Amino acid sequence: MADTDFVLLESSDGYTFSVPRRIAMASQTLRSMLDEDSAFQEAKDKTVRLEYRGIILLKVIEYLQYKVQYADFASSDIREDFQDRIDPYIALELLTAADYLET
Amino acid sequence: MSFKDTWVKLSHAIREIQNKNAPKISFEENHRYAYNMVLHKQGEQLYSGLKTIVAEYLDRLAEERIVPAFPRASGTAGTSALGSGAEAVERAVEGDRFLRAVKSVWDDHVGAMLKIKDILRYLDKGYTTQNGLPTTLEVGLVFFLSHIVRSTNHPIHTHLVATLLSQVQLERDGHTIQRSTVRDCVDFLLRLDNPERLGGRSVYATDIEPEFLRRSAEFYRLEAVQYLETGDAPAYLRNVERRFAEEADRTAHYLSSLTSVPLQALLVENLLTAHLQAIMRMPGTGLVAMLDADRVPDLRRMYTLFLRVPDNGGKDALRLALRESAEARGKAINDGAASSADAGMDVDEDKDKDPKGKGKAKAPSAMATALAQALRWVQDVLDLKDKFDIILDQAFGGDKQVQASINEAFQSFINANPRAPEFLSLFIDEHLKKGAKAKSDEEIEQALEKTIILFRFLSDKDKFERYYKNHLARRLLYGRSVSDDAERGMVAKLKVEMGFQFTQKLEGMFTDMRLSAESATTFRHYQNRHGAVPFELTVNVLTASYWPQPIVATSSCSFGGTLKGATEVYQKYYDSRHSGRRLTWQANLGTADVRVRFKARSHDLNVSTQALVVLLLFEDVPEDEVLSYNEIKSATDLADADLQRTLQSLACGKFRVLTKTPKGRDVGANDTFAFNDGFTSPLARIKIMQVASKVETPKEREETQEMVDEERKHQVEACIVRIMKDRKTMSHNDLISEVAHQLSSRFQPSMSLIKKRIEGLIDREYLERTNDIGVYRYLA
Repeated sequence: MADTDFVLLESSDGYTFSVPRRIAMASQTLRSMLDEDSAFQEAKDKTVRLEYRGIILLKVIEYLQYKVQYADFASSDIREDFQDRIDPYIALELLTAADYLET
Repeated sequence: MSFKDTWVKLSHAIREIQNKNAPKISFEENHRYAYNMVLHKQGEQLYSGLKTIVAEYLDRLAEERIVPAFPRASGTAGTSALGSGAEAVERAVEGDRFLRAVKSVWDDHVGAMLKIKDILRYLDKGYTTQNGLPTTLEVGLVFFLSHIVRSTNHPIHTHLVATLLSQVQLERDGHTIQRSTVRDCVDFLLRLDNPERLGGRSVYATDIEPEFLRRSAEFYRLEAVQYLETGDAPAYLRNVERRFAEEADRTAHYLSSLTSVPLQALLVENLLTAHLQAIMRMPGTGLVAMLDADRVPDLRRMYTLFLRVPDNGGKDALRLALRESAEARGKAINDGAASSADAGMDVDEDKDKDPKGKGKAKAPSAMATALAQALRWVQDVLDLKDKFDIILDQAFGGDKQVQASINEAFQSFINANPRAPEFLSLFIDEHLKKGAKAKSDEEIEQALEKTIILFRFLSDKDKFERYYKNHLARRLLYGRSVSDDAERGMVAKLKVEMGFQFTQKLEGMFTDMRLSAESATTFRHYQNRHGAVPFELTVNVLTASYWPQPIVATSSCSFGGTLKGATEVYQKYYDSRHSGRRLTWQANLGTADVRVRFKARSHDLNVSTQALVVLLLFEDVPEDEVLSYNEIKSATDLADADLQRTLQSLACGKFRVLTKTPKGRDVGANDTFAFNDGFTSPLARIKIMQVASKVETPKEREETQEMVDEERKHQVEACIVRIMKDRKTMSHNDLISEVAHQLSSRFQPSMSLIKKRIEGLIDREYLERTNDIGVYRYLA
């Protein structure tokens, strides 16, 4: 699948991220929102506005990318631990976002 | 924002989704509302609120869209005809409209629920599953069941069931319905499950299927009765076949495949099992008629349909009926043969009383009819066998059990004809005899192959052997065999069937003939050295034990002059080659070519040896003198029966070489005979046949039976001794069954026969009774 299909994710503080749909779909919540069969507003506009700060959203997207990249790997083959990339200051906020987005 | 406000917004969003306004709604926003509510312990409130909204929604849809689509009076439709023509079409359309309405509600509801489920995703994640409650989607299904399908406000359930059934019924009656609509409704009913406490099966299984099956059973029960009344079995079966296909198609296309099994069983039950006999015995069109007309497709249909009846019930019934039919046909053949054979005999006897002797010409023809009758019997049986073979092969797929039944039938009726062994042997005789219709080797081979099949059915094989031996002896001695190969081929076939013992004597007969032919050559050389016999003499030396009794039975005959000399020469020759063997001359078996000079011209006569002996007497008798019956008798020493027959053939047959006084057909003891010097005939060579019957007269048959019975006694005794010698002691019942078993390949010994033989052996002290009741011991 060529990454020509992008969706926009907007943060509460006005940042907009253009993300390949393939990556966004790694979140169950985003997948539901963008499901074209359900045809919600978000799916129509290909834009999702989320109540999280840009810095949080950035990390979420980074994680989604990480998740997709290693989706087909056995856990023993993954050398890179995502925890190392998380700034402890945003950890809590990131946790709630993760729960909400079902990443 | 308070939870109350949140709920107001969320509930509004849910209603908007139900109204198909999803694109106007922000998923994220509402998802967040639900997320927050669940996160803040408001799950229960959200859950019950959702239920209320769904219930309201469904009630509204029922009111607005389903109730107006109710078909008129669909609830009353039963299995009775649903009207015809326009009315039926209208009903189909109405039913379809109603089903479509229900289906559209279902589609909308399910569509909405899928979206709602997505929005309330966190409710399922954080509340329902944790509390063991039905998930959002399940709530949707449960509510659809309780508020639409089983609505308490509207009679939707009644209409739904009735409409589905009436659609099927309409199609069964030959109308067109929208299968896809029915299919859709059935689909969602299959998806709807009853609550756990009601067994959790699909609503289709509990609400539709039982009623559907009940109606179907009723419908087909009535249809079966109606169709049977038309009295056309093939049509009935075609209809059944069509119905099977239709219902299979129906379950595959728009009902549940789970229904297929009970539905097919129900069809079998109502259309077939209950009416097996009625179908087969339908006058004029049933099994018998089908067999009569060789209606293979109909028979095949019957067979394949009957196979569906459980527990082999159909096939067993079919087998029984087939057997009955085959037996009835066989009996008809038997009756036909018996009546006309007897008629032939009756004519014969009537003729004897006929004072004018007119029946002379008829006599051979009556024999001929009797023979023809015998041949026809076999041919008829063979034809019948062919017929059944073809049907078995083409209609019943060569089913072994069916074949067994047919074979049983053949066995039973063939053995019901007491003359079957004789007829069969006559049939073979007819085919192996020279001069019959010109037949190719293949035809003969084929005919013989078939007779072997009939032979297998025969239980009195020993009787057959006796007749066969007689006929074979005649063929061999009178040189009538069409070919040696064919004869040996037949014997080889019998050998395969019955084993070495059965054909041992037959082969012995062939050997005798071969040795005789060889010794004829050496005898010629012998004559060169020791002085020749004044005429050509060919002798067939027969081993007495191989040849049938009546043929080797000593018949007295004293040879005169030349003949006597010739026999003495041969006797010497034979003694010189074999010692310790006794030759008995059988004048009744040979033939002689003799040139006789009449007034007009000479003729070559081909006569029996006995006739030759008689003729030679007249050689020395001066013209115009006569010989009385008694003079001839004392000169030839022939038995009365033989002499009478011989004289009859010479004086009363077609060619009257002798004149009898008084004239008449029968030869009496006071008749006198003279040489008929004035005999004329256009033929140079004349064959004077012995007046001899081919088919047995009733009297001969009795004699044969007696001889067979006598032989059986010996066989049974030999068998008992053989068994007892081996076992030493044996119980009565075991012994009887063992004897019956061992002899069954040759004939079926009766219980009383075996018992009598055991008694006889006890009397002669081969066996003795032991202290145990019913146990015998062998006395060495």
